[in-house]
Amino acid sequence: MPAKPHRILLDRVSVYADEAAAFMRRRRVSRRPFARLYYPHGRSADHAQDSRAGAELFVAAGRLIEVAGKKPKR
Amino acid sequence: MTTVVIQEARARDTPGIFADMADAAPLAPPSEESAAAALEFLAEMSPDLRGAAILGPEGEVLAATEGDEDRWREDAAALFAAADEAEGVPVEQVHIATEQGEVFAIRNEGLAAVSVTDRFALASLMLFDLRSALRRLASPNFGPPGGTKSRKGED
Repeated sequence: MPAKPHRILLDRVSVYADEAAAFMRRRRVSRRPFARLYYPHGRSADHAQDSRAGAELFVAAGRLIEVAGKKPKR
Repeated sequence: MTTVVIQEARARDTPGIFADMADAAPLAPPSEESAAAALEFLAEMSPDLRGAAILGPEGEVLAATEGDEDRWREDAAALFAAADEAEGVPVEQVHIATEQGEVFAIRNEGLAAVSVTDRFALASLMLFDLRSALRRLASPNFGPPGGTKSRKGED
């Protein structure tokens, strides 16, 4: 017996949602810290954490994170 | 050579052209009240936001969320200094993702803004919101949502 049309649609949506959730999970696990600088005219450059510029950027970012503190309760 | 003359003329006239454009630095820095209103609006728009500050043309803090204003000023200046030094060219935007959170910084219209968010905040949205906040602040018709127009020297 053929599946009801709305079941097909629901299955399709569920598959996409599962794929998206898996992608987000992998992204959270695999993403490494990075420092990216954007210049005029759309150019951008990444600086590794172990480079001199990268290290300075991460130190400065760490201080700002410290100043900001925890997320305020809304 | 003709080309050289044209290039010279362009180099000579360009600053004048940009001075007349809408994106040029604001004539007077926005008031602290306007900056605070812009920051409040930003916090409402960005659920991932932990803290942020808006800086004036001289690097002074116009508004900041919780935290020591002097620390915001010093640390934002240190971030921009490190970013500018990386390639010897002034940066427009900075995005640094760490295990503890993410930092965004942007310069626009002679003003600057820095923000700290939770991890995995959507970078394009955050930078767009920051840029919009600075553009609105620099605009002569700026008024916080539901508020009144207020610029330093015009009150």
